[in-house]
Order: sequence, then C-alpha cells, then structure tokens
Amino acid sequence: MMIAPVGGAKHRLLPSCSLIALLAALALPVQATAAGTRAGSTISNTATASFDSGGGPTTIDSNRVDLLVDELLDVTVDSSNPADVPTTPGATGQVLTFSVTNNGNGVEAFALSTVANAGGDDYDPAVTQIYLDNGDGLFDAGTDTLYTAGANDPTLDPDESIAVFVVTTTPGTVVDGNRGIVSLVAAARTGTGTPGTSFAGQGEGGGDAVVGATGADGEDAGAFVVSAATVALVKSASITNPLGTADPIPGATITYTIVATVTGSGSVSGLAVTDNIPADTSYVPGSITLGGSPLTDAADADAGDYNGARINVALGTVAGGQSRTISFQTMIH
Amino acid sequence: MRPALLLMLAAALPGPAFAANQVALDNKVFVERVSTDADGKQRILLEEPKLVVPGDRLVFVLNYRNVGAQAADKFVVTNPLPAAVRFAGAGDTEPLVSVDGGKQWGRLDELSIATADGAHRAAQPADVTHIRWAFQKPIPAGATGKLMFRGIVK
Repeated sequence: MMIAPVGGAKHRLLPSCSLIALLAALALPVQATAAGTRAGSTISNTATASFDSGGGPTTIDSNRVDLLVDELLDVTVDSSNPADVPTTPGATGQVLTFSVTNNGNGVEAFALSTVANAGGDDYDPAVTQIYLDNGDGLFDAGTDTLYTAGANDPTLDPDESIAVFVVTTTPGTVVDGNRGIVSLVAAARTGTGTPGTSFAGQGEGGGDAVVGATGADGEDAGAFVVSAATVALVKSASITNPLGTADPIPGATITYTIVATVTGSGSVSGLAVTDNIPADTSYVPGSITLGGSPLTDAADADAGDYNGARINVALGTVAGGQSRTISFQTMIH
Repeated sequence: MRPALLLMLAAALPGPAFAANQVALDNKVFVERVSTDADGKQRILLEEPKLVVPGDRLVFVLNYRNVGAQAADKFVVTNPLPAAVRFAGAGDTEPLVSVDGGKQWGRLDELSIATADGAHRAAQPADVTHIRWAFQKPIPAGATGKLMFRGIVK
C-alpha cells in the first residue's frame, strides 16, 4: 500500500528530505525473516542527484516514496509422526502430533480443526481433544493446553511453530492392520481463500492482509495402524497304558499338549495358560514342560506351577507369529 | 504541471536553494505483476503499489529533468537500496552498484564480498546496497531522462 503517493511538487519543497528519510528508517526497523519483511514495515525510497551547473557541486533529494508492507497469510501443517502410530482396538488417548508454522510475515491466529472421515483408510479414529504444546514437544495432558476453537486459537509470530496433539479413541471394532487417518487443518483467522484474496485493513500494522500461496490454510495427515494380536490355543491328548496300547484304562497316563499360537502384527502381554486337572485323574508331579523343557510344580522363578487343582504356565509377552508349546501329564484313577 | 511547479519552487525557496532545484528528480515505485490472459499469454503490468507483500517485484523509476537554464555537469544519481528490498537488476541502464554501503562502486561482476574465513566471493544481486548512475556528459538545459531498477521485497 502506498501511503505517501508523492511525485508532485509538495515533497520537493521539504528542505531536508534526507533527514526525514533517515529518521523514518530509524523509527521503523525493517525485519526480514524467512517469512519475509514484517507486515507493517515501511519501505522508504529516496534517491539523490548531484550535479554542477556552474555554481559548484549541488545535491538534491528526490521525493520519498513510502510503501507499507502488507500482511501475507500463509500457514503450513506437518505431521510429526514419521510412520503410522500403532494403536489397538478400543484404545483411548491415542495421540498424533503435528506442527503448525506461520509462514506469513505478520502475527496471526490460526483456527484448528480435524478431519477423520476423508477416506483412504479403513476406519475413522474418534477425535476427542486437541492440545497445544507447552513448548517441550511432548504430549502431557496435565501441562499442555486443551484447545477450544475460537477461545484459544494459537497466535504465532512469523516463522513461529507450535506442536499440536490430536487425541483420539480407536473404535473397538477395528482389526489388525487397519489404518485410520486424521488430518489437522490450520486456517488463518483473518481469512482464507485463493492466493491473492485480500482483506482490506486487516493486516498487521494497518495494511491489508493478503492470502499467500498456501491459501492461508494448511493441512497434513497422520495415521494410526491397528497392531493387534490374537491367541489360539490347541489342546491335544495322547494316552499310554501299561498294556502298551492307547486305551484310557485305569492306570493309563494322559499327556496333554497345549499349543498357544499368537497371530497378528502386535503382541500379547501377560499371556498365561491355565488348565484344570480333569476329574478322575490325578496330576503327575513334575510333568509340566514348556517348549520341551521341564518346569517345577512350585510357584517360583520358573514359569510353571501346579496348585493342587490346575496347572499354570505364565508365558508373558508373546509377539505375533510365535507359538509356545506346553505339556503336562495326568493318570487315570 | 511543470510550469506551475517551477513557479512554486521559485516562490517558496530562498535564493541559495534555487540552484539546488535546477534539476528535479522524481521518484516513483510500481509493483510488477504478471497476469496470464485467456490465451495463456503472459502480460507484465506495472501497478500502483496498493498492496505490497514479501516476494513482490518492485520497479523503481527515477525521472530527472534539468529545469535550469544551464547544463548540469557531473550529473550523478544515487539510490540507497531500502533494507527490505533485494536488488534485481536495472535493465539496460547499467548503473554502478555498491555492496559495502556506498564506499566502493563498480559493476556488480567486478565486486566481491569478504567472507568470514578471510576469502572473497563474487558479489551477488542480494549484496547490493546502493545503485548509482554517473553521467559522462552534461545534461543540457531542459533535458529529461528516466532511470530504473528492479527490486524484490524481502
């Protein structure tokens, strides 16, 4: 915006234009950042001419032209999660992290919103909250600020960024390998639109605000991937008896084999296999094995125990694609 | 307008300053916009700078006129570049430039910048701090001319 569209005689009459220009330059420092010259700065231009018309060297100033720099509205949103974030069915408090950067040249507030149903994925994460980072880049609901649209829109200086956390719940119906995408949208409060759209008088420093190349709104997507695991137990029995046959007669020994197979991209934790000793049989002491290695009956450092009614083998965390084989023996009364 | 201007100048300024106005130097700034018409042809328009944002191309135009009765000798026009503007050429007006605040002058390709490690690198348009046109011949009485350069808003 030209605030001093001079070019006529008026300014040539000013006796000390250069002094005025100097004062103006001192009073209005021009900040240049990556986002460009700060909105509200004044670009002042004055040329001088020197010559000699016979009376000795003479110097004159031109008129001064002052240009007020208007505000460019530009913002970008970037996902801070380099890869899909693992989640599990029904999990709450599932966080995607984004960075919102003011690429404009003026202080600007940005409205934040999310899009979870744009398609291109297998399910829609349910967005429960948006949090504004306190500066450490780490999500902590206790110290970060809960965002309420219109109430605490983040206000960013030129080139300033803020981390934004989108908190979601994963539906209980999802299955292993499902992806759910959530996009964060940041839009300049002054206005958005096609590049070049201007908002008269709404720029920082009294100029206009002009939509830049980003359209004054930015968007980026982050994604969750369901990392679930399921456990399948297969139990089999084989019988040996003193007769050397496989008949279940009194005195026969039954060897039970339980294979726990974990499938899926995730893992299960705290997996334990428990089996009650059937009626009319008695447990053969010291017969529990895990992966072919014997375990003691006592509840002690090893994974297995027998408490008089059932055997138990604690398998702990087992990743998808792995299996564990447990066996124990009973004797028919 | 010019006769009226002369009259005002003569009336407003005391004697010694009269000589100072034997040459008039008029400064205008335009924004260069490229628009593409329906046929896909690009047109470059010079607009009044109603809106100025970082990245805009500015065209600085200096019109001079020797309004005195004598020729103006040793005519030199100097334009310090505003700090927020990066020099982007001066067309065929071939000015001298300075990259050190007006101490040394030369063609851009003759100048260098001292780097932090004591070496020198060739000066770039972004280094330009001042632009100067030094005329070899006197400007005759009544003669006019136009100088221009381009700059990009940082």
